[in-house]
Amino acid sequence: MSLPAVDVQRLTGLAHPEVHQLLTAAAHACRRHAPLSGEAVCESGLRLGVSCPVLDGLLRGGLPVGGITELSGQSGAGKTQLALQISLSVQYPVEHGGLGGGALYICTEDSFPIRRLQQMISEQANLRSEVPSSLIRGLRFSDHVYIEHAADLDSLQVCLSRRAPVLLAAGLVRLIVVDSVAALFRSEFQAEDWMERNKQLLTFSSMLHQLSQEFTTPVLCINQVNEDAMIEKNKQPLSSSVTPALGLAWANQVLVRLMIRRLQKTVSRGDQSSALRQLEVVFAPHLARSKCEVAVWREGVRGVAAFE
Amino acid sequence: MFLTLPSILEKWPCQWSSGASGRRASPSFNAGEAVTALELLQRERECGSITTFSSQLDHALKGGLPVGKVTEICGAPGVGKTHLCLQLSVDIQIPRSFGGLEAQVIFMDTEGSFVLQRVVDIAAAVVRHFSLLAVDGEQKDTMQTFNMESILSNIFLVRCHDYVELQAELLLLPDFLRDKPRVRLLVIDSVAFPFRQHLDDLSQRTRLLQGLAQQVISMATRHNIAVVITNQMTTRLQDSQSHLVPALGEIWGHASTTRIILQWEGSQQVAAIVKSPCCIDTAIQYQITSEGFRDANQPEITLTNRR
Repeated sequence: MSLPAVDVQRLTGLAHPEVHQLLTAAAHACRRHAPLSGEAVCESGLRLGVSCPVLDGLLRGGLPVGGITELSGQSGAGKTQLALQISLSVQYPVEHGGLGGGALYICTEDSFPIRRLQQMISEQANLRSEVPSSLIRGLRFSDHVYIEHAADLDSLQVCLSRRAPVLLAAGLVRLIVVDSVAALFRSEFQAEDWMERNKQLLTFSSMLHQLSQEFTTPVLCINQVNEDAMIEKNKQPLSSSVTPALGLAWANQVLVRLMIRRLQKTVSRGDQSSALRQLEVVFAPHLARSKCEVAVWREGVRGVAAFE
Repeated sequence: MFLTLPSILEKWPCQWSSGASGRRASPSFNAGEAVTALELLQRERECGSITTFSSQLDHALKGGLPVGKVTEICGAPGVGKTHLCLQLSVDIQIPRSFGGLEAQVIFMDTEGSFVLQRVVDIAAAVVRHFSLLAVDGEQKDTMQTFNMESILSNIFLVRCHDYVELQAELLLLPDFLRDKPRVRLLVIDSVAFPFRQHLDDLSQRTRLLQGLAQQVISMATRHNIAVVITNQMTTRLQDSQSHLVPALGEIWGHASTTRIILQWEGSQQVAAIVKSPCCIDTAIQYQITSEGFRDANQPEITLTNRR
């Protein structure tokens, strides 16, 4: 199938009708199923919830299971907090918004914030008050977060091509988090090597796509932001002056793009106070552009409902 | 199917264009058959066009997206390419009593961006729109059957994971079109995605794309269907400045009859028709709402700049 019909004809030395027959047979072999009608599409709208009704409402149920979701924001905006929370919420059964599996958390930037994860696990009962507490106690959260450190591109490659498929095939993992993609690609390449960088980015993203499709697993990638120094035309207007890093080559690979940023205000609740942040849907096939305010509490990230 | 001359004259052109009977009666394009320009003009009128639900874009395209032609929609991620495709997939099903084509659509999704929720939103908005418009008895009768279930059942979805699967589907498509003669729209969303990964050999990519272009063009003319292809954008360095250009290279640009580029200009979303045999180059504003693809709020501002 990867050759034009003329080449097939030349290579095999067959006549035109025979080549056509051969190609039709090959095409039937490639086809997974005949075209489905919209009613029969068993897409089922499976989503991975993020453990907060306000945010789930914003995302219409959560992250889509097939494809790459990008979460970008400045440092300290709360990207990792949300990623940690999602890697816990994936472990809930499907009726509580999870996918009933663990998470593979690939760190490239910093060491894994294990203490924060422990704190979030101990506060899960507060975050998910609607879930029966016996269920929460029954889940062994920290056993099901698989942490990988990838300090360079090669080790990331090994991790994704060898270890991730094993974990996914065994059904242990139903979520891949990469925190962050930008760190590696920004540090390893100089500005002149952008061709090489784009090629590596494509290889990396096609690996993620493959894993995501094969195991119907959502992929969450955390990205840094660029200060928008250059005035570029044709850019999507954002409510802040920063844009997600890694440029167009990466953006073309992303299915859902979320941005989180810190606002100047703070909110307080009881003895806790938190800087207010804003989570914005930049684009997504199933959502219109929208945003909502969120705050980070001891138990996790929560959307601030409009009436508060 | 035999008809007397008066009954042919009575028939409205768009009734000819959809449905199997119309196809069989109207002579199909045969290789080597010479036709006069007048005949061609008549055939093109019979083909009709698909409304985009944006009156400005419809106007710029002289009535909507042409059937029997290849249209390419390019744009940066998140600008609304997939939305426009979904909108068209619903719009092609508009009943004939409302001036639509009442046809079916096959949607080839390579990116995994076909989301049913979104189709349901757009379809609901369209159904609401026409149920408000229905005045006479015939239109009210059609509204009985023009509902969510019928819209969804008229969309055929194929998920292609890589370019091999896409090629295979296109090869099998003529058989599918023979079985389902009401299909009048083919959407490939997007063509760039599978061809930009896993293909290192650029000359092979060019040849494959060229073959694909020939295939869709022949499909569009022979089966008289509209073909909509989406494409990504890429950065090209020129005079040490970066420009956004449609991906897949210069040769691919010849594949489509009409090329529409969707882009952001400041806070406005602008659709620019950059290549078309029948319309002058124009740029119009649009917006993506929760109901689908619509005119921008200020319809009086129409940009006309040549590119």
